[in-house]
Amino acid sequence: MISLQVQNNQRFHIEDIQFLTQSDFYDSVSEGLSNGYRMIGLFPVDKKLKHKIISLLVDSSSSSIHIIGVEFQPDKLEFKSIANQFPQTNYFECELAENDGFKLIDHPWLRPVRKQNKILGNKPYQFYQLEGDEVHEVAVGPIHAGVIEPGHFRFQCHGELVYHLEINLGYQHRGVETMMLNANQQHKLILSESIAGDTVIGHTQAHCGVIESLTDTQVGLRAQVIRSLAEELERIAMHLSGLGGVANDVGLAIIAASYGRLRTLVINSLAILCGSRFGRGLFIYGGVRFDFDDSIINQLMSNLEIVKKDVVAINNFLFSSTGALTRFENTGIVKNDVAQEIGLVGIAGRASGIEGDTRINFPYGAYRYFPVSLITLPTGDVFARARLRALEIDESLRFIFEQFQNIPGGEIKSEFGNEEPNSGVISIVEGWRGEIVHTAITDDTGKLIQYKIKDPSFNNWYGLSLALRKTAISDFPVINKSFDLSYAGHDL
Amino acid sequence: MIDAIKLRILQGDPIIHDVKNASLPKLFRGLPKIENKNCSDGCNKCVEVCPTNAIKLNPVTIDLGKCLFCPLCEEACPENIIHFTNEYKIASGTLDSLLVNSEIEKISVERASEKIRNYFGRSLKLRQISAGGCNGCELELNALSNVNFDMGRFGIEFVASPRHADGIVLTGPITQNMAKATEICYDAVPNPKIIILVGTCAISGGIFQDSEMTQRKFLAKNKIDLFIPGCPPHPLTFINGLLDWLDKK
Repeated sequence: MISLQVQNNQRFHIEDIQFLTQSDFYDSVSEGLSNGYRMIGLFPVDKKLKHKIISLLVDSSSSSIHIIGVEFQPDKLEFKSIANQFPQTNYFECELAENDGFKLIDHPWLRPVRKQNKILGNKPYQFYQLEGDEVHEVAVGPIHAGVIEPGHFRFQCHGELVYHLEINLGYQHRGVETMMLNANQQHKLILSESIAGDTVIGHTQAHCGVIESLTDTQVGLRAQVIRSLAEELERIAMHLSGLGGVANDVGLAIIAASYGRLRTLVINSLAILCGSRFGRGLFIYGGVRFDFDDSIINQLMSNLEIVKKDVVAINNFLFSSTGALTRFENTGIVKNDVAQEIGLVGIAGRASGIEGDTRINFPYGAYRYFPVSLITLPTGDVFARARLRALEIDESLRFIFEQFQNIPGGEIKSEFGNEEPNSGVISIVEGWRGEIVHTAITDDTGKLIQYKIKDPSFNNWYGLSLALRKTAISDFPVINKSFDLSYAGHDL
Repeated sequence: MIDAIKLRILQGDPIIHDVKNASLPKLFRGLPKIENKNCSDGCNKCVEVCPTNAIKLNPVTIDLGKCLFCPLCEEACPENIIHFTNEYKIASGTLDSLLVNSEIEKISVERASEKIRNYFGRSLKLRQISAGGCNGCELELNALSNVNFDMGRFGIEFVASPRHADGIVLTGPITQNMAKATEICYDAVPNPKIIILVGTCAISGGIFQDSEMTQRKFLAKNKIDLFIPGCPPHPLTFINGLLDWLDKK
């Protein structure tokens, strides 16, 4: 396998990437994927020059990222699909076709990713359809019943049973990646806060990771710890919100309300720390904007003590309720082999027994010095995804209280320089939902020529489709909530 | 059963009883206070750092319809003219009253017309449309229904169908891909109906004002009743905006 091997947040030179012939490229990528590597990106090095493509594969066991380059003839952008053999590459290939005009050869399932119909020559996308007696189709969205983001869902049903679900997204597409290339530095940071408003800390952590590595900025330990504390607060808040959601979807209002109360305490803690309930404004290049003092620590500690104590009783009630468990267990299953094949990440992956957590496999920031434990569950059903989130809350609380015992001293901001020319950085972060990847590449003046974002939802939406197979359509809300995926993060 | 009662007792009394006088953390960035001081000669720093061109000089004026409430201008100003206060009552019925300069100490919402207050004063059902919102505003709107803010006690609720709604609450800069759905949804709401814009993206495009992927014709065609600025707006900004507008105690 011919590749350039780098680590998380390690700067590399573009000239170190070997651009292979097409057959060598397919051999290398296939070899990597056969060895259990996972694809995290497939895009041109320069957004304007489409014919030089890199593929990013990660190997969790050795914490390494492999960059495999390939050069096409500029007038013949034809990509031979490997999605039949490796289904996890399917969506990356669709994205390549849609964004960069590649023609996919032998691709199993060409569908729009964000820009409706562009990929199909402006012809409307035809959903797969079931034929026969007593079959029917249910179309939902883009606007859903609740206060949530837009997306279109198409169910093919026979009676109550769903045989196939297609999820058609792109309604939230705001052009974030393109805007990143033209924005000035401060503008970029704020843009990264708005990639997905529920994962502000996760995405800014990844964004700061790439920009700081491109500029050789060292972030002080105190700032790294504050960043990680914020990341764990965000994780706890969103896990509480998700657990409240699944409880609500099975009709347990008292549980939903209880989780909601605790979530308020956690996001209010973030506001005490940085003025925003979602952590906006906390991150700056080279560190963080706001520091702790004893009064802030005390307020946070007293809020989190309540969460730590009360969440036990609420979890016990939820996970011992027969009514809830009958709805959760064996519902919306993604088996481990399927999860591996389609490349599930984050909480959905770990609930299907995939041992993957960026904080452990590709440690960054404070997680390099203060590790967290890996939590997985084997069953891949709604129960596993919900239970896993409850367990992760405990682990995040443990991490936070451990840090409060001994917060390192030092500066919270460091000097920040200019972007190195002809360089690239890949930054991987474990957002609460899963693996966030930001990749930035600069030209010979240090200006960005490519900025690529991958939210965990990009991998996991297909998992939701598969989880619905042979499941009653009435279970869709609770399965959907157990995945808890982002529309804005996917649509960019 | 006994466990459910225990859980209810554990809940205690989390509701914010007085939504008009609740106080937010010191660092919360709400209504900016602009000192009546002169800028140093030729200084343009706040205008330069502002990511959304929300600031004009002579006199220093911040447009809350564009402001992201990031503290960049506050940090950049060498004369310490700009301070963000934790005042959260910043909703308004007109774009003009979102322009804050040194003479503005508070922003108040003008009462809605008598007709609107008669129609919606006691019960207001809203259909939310997320048209490119990043899920920040959506989460804060969801928070309005939780046990802390409990907007339902004021007769204001979100409903699933536009047919059941008295108006729409729009978040996000309105992406091209959501432009049509937004129109269809609004058309489905029976008359009389209102439009509330929540968040800087909806009001001005916010950080996405230069994006080529937005399509904001819908806003030019229709009268907007209420603007709720913020990135995202605090739930109390939304509640107070509506209560004042509907003249509720």
